[in-house]
Amino acid sequence: MMPDFHQEGQAETQQWQPEQKAPVILLENVSKTYGKIHALTGITLALSGGVTGILGLNGAGKSTLFKILMGKLKPSSGQVRLFGTNPWKNPAPYSRVGFVPEGEKMYDWMTAHDFISTFARLNGLTRDEAKQEADRVLDFVGLLDVAHKQIGRFSKGMRQRTKIAHALVNDPELIILDEPLQGCDPLARTTIMNVIRELGRMGRTVIVSSHILTEIERITEQIVILHHGRLLALGNLHAIREKMDNIPHRIDIGCDSPKDLAKSVIDIDSVHGIIFQNPEALTVQTRNLGDFHSNLPSVIINGQHKVTSIDNPDDDLASILGYLTGGGGY
Amino acid sequence: MADKTNTIFRALDRKASAITEFTMRQYRTKISTWVVLITGLVVISLLMLFYVDAMQRDFEAIDNDGDSVDSDGDLYPDGQERLYGTNPFSELSHPGLFDPPVPPDDPEKWINEDDFDWDESPTGTRIVSVGYDDDGDCRTDSRTSSQKDTNDNGIECDIELSLTLTGEFRYDSDSFVDEDPDDEAYAKEALHRASILGIGKLGFVFIISIFIPLFMATGLIRDEMTSGTMHYMLTKPIARTEVFFYRVIGYLGIVWPYLIILTLISAIVTGFAGPGDSLFRFSEFGIWLAILFAAMMATLVYGMLFCFLGVMWRYGIILAIPFAAWELGMALLSMGVPESPILRFSVIGWALIIVDAASMIVWPDMTLLIYSGFSVETTDSLGFEREELIGTDPLQYFYATPGLGDMSPFLSMIIATVVLLIQAAALLFIGGALFKGKEIE
Repeated sequence: MMPDFHQEGQAETQQWQPEQKAPVILLENVSKTYGKIHALTGITLALSGGVTGILGLNGAGKSTLFKILMGKLKPSSGQVRLFGTNPWKNPAPYSRVGFVPEGEKMYDWMTAHDFISTFARLNGLTRDEAKQEADRVLDFVGLLDVAHKQIGRFSKGMRQRTKIAHALVNDPELIILDEPLQGCDPLARTTIMNVIRELGRMGRTVIVSSHILTEIERITEQIVILHHGRLLALGNLHAIREKMDNIPHRIDIGCDSPKDLAKSVIDIDSVHGIIFQNPEALTVQTRNLGDFHSNLPSVIINGQHKVTSIDNPDDDLASILGYLTGGGGY
Repeated sequence: MADKTNTIFRALDRKASAITEFTMRQYRTKISTWVVLITGLVVISLLMLFYVDAMQRDFEAIDNDGDSVDSDGDLYPDGQERLYGTNPFSELSHPGLFDPPVPPDDPEKWINEDDFDWDESPTGTRIVSVGYDDDGDCRTDSRTSSQKDTNDNGIECDIELSLTLTGEFRYDSDSFVDEDPDDEAYAKEALHRASILGIGKLGFVFIISIFIPLFMATGLIRDEMTSGTMHYMLTKPIARTEVFFYRVIGYLGIVWPYLIILTLISAIVTGFAGPGDSLFRFSEFGIWLAILFAAMMATLVYGMLFCFLGVMWRYGIILAIPFAAWELGMALLSMGVPESPILRFSVIGWALIIVDAASMIVWPDMTLLIYSGFSVETTDSLGFEREELIGTDPLQYFYATPGLGDMSPFLSMIIATVVLLIQAAALLFIGGALFKGKEIE
């Protein structure tokens, strides 16, 4: 309860030291319920180092999980540890954590530099230190040239990068990003992805959530899949994919003469079915996606087929979820 | 030592000033802030206009003792007849029959002819004798000694002022002493003081001090929570109680300077427009200072309370409305029954003690002024009811002695201030604790 007279940024527990061997994040059987609604059920998870993607459809519990980690929500049951410390009612560990909330609202009347340097002082920096720090993090996310423009005039991508810069103040060891790519144009997406990958290379623990598989795939291979508040899968995206490769997949191929292409494709061993959708496309069914993808280019080149598109409709989060939950598709 | 100062300065340059400054800047960007502050200014300006208007008015000179009348029709006003010992009710008895004959007075001369004369007030159990019979209708030789000393204190033609053991003021006048004062001078002085007290107590300490926090402090934390921007502050290593406290300080950073400006404007207006021979009534800066201080204390406590209500419940402002009604009731009660114990369960009851104590210090003759106004209220021998002087009623309504019992006004002021600070600290404690355990979506 006592105010922090030293204002050095350690908040309440001034002698707070992270436990040396504790994982950065530790969740033990964490559940969160709102009345009869189960937002999270029995999540057990430990993470340290590297970039981890939290995948889940909207409403899967990603944001709830982050808010529990950040001590904004109290878990209904289970243990939460951030650097070995319970974050509920204890802001001490936040000196090592950066959080990018999902909300759209920002202080539009502030400039990016203002916004970051003002809140940087809450880390115990003086005014001058905070200004330098704001320059540093804005440079890191590539917004230094627009640092003194009002946030209200920023594009969606610039706003997201401003929020990320805000989270990077004080060089935290753990950075949590809630849907940082949502609503961004492709260029902004690439920039943000590069920033996240760079943080991973710098040895930070980064947790990033998304509901789009391809986004996460471009950032990291280490993923956690949440579905209806449950932890569905955890591990390397490739390993999950390999498993999926052995179940029937559909591949849509757009071309000028589907029937000619079908004659060539039928020779690939893993193909077990072909459907003609329309005069300009065919759908191939395969039991081994990897094998099919490795053989397809040579088939196309040898047969001199004119292929306009290759689409993998099953290669998205919904079908992974469908597979993992044992249903057909989502 | 220099090193220490440097540390404190550098320390304050971090979290506390960051949130305080941020809060003040945030207020400046909101239209609602300006609307509320300008409305407050308009309200006080209107009250000031009414005040200036009252000060510019001409008050009719009233013949409070009715002696300008010529009851018997012999052209001599009753007062003149009484002075010369003739019978005011007999046509056949008037000073014109004297040798040499006395010409009749202009009846105007017998209006406002006997103004108040007092230079001291009673203190403790001391009895003082004041008053002077300006028009001589008491001192006249035609009266007997007992007629000149109707209050039986052994002094002819005086007014005896005393305090009873319970602190009540007693005003006991001989007949025909100070019985027809200058109504205009009295009305202006009384209305001037009543206006300062009324505007100060109801305008500043109630209306301004409750409505500004109601609109400005309720959203301090709540609005940040509902819009989701609270995360930018709370994901930093800072205790929530600190955020609560610094946000309220930021709110005070806007409201207190505003109150200082409003008070200064009012003090200048009443200082120049007030009655009296001097150009400016400097002595009344004290009462304005007390009004300002009471309003600052009230905005502090109300700010903490409304911010807390906002944290407790999204629609906390609904709870603030019955509370404001309660405070209005207490404000009115404190002016009538300042010693009522129920006032101790309010904020404004304490805040108004500060104003009351200061008015006791700044205007030690206040009770005398009020009683003098009532002293002309009599039924005369003809059965005419004489009313109290203009301004007496409002002055009596707005003036109250500090209700903490028989103690020095300074002590009352200190006790009230301490209680208000304790109230603020308690609200900070509860509000902080509540905010700390609040889940933020």
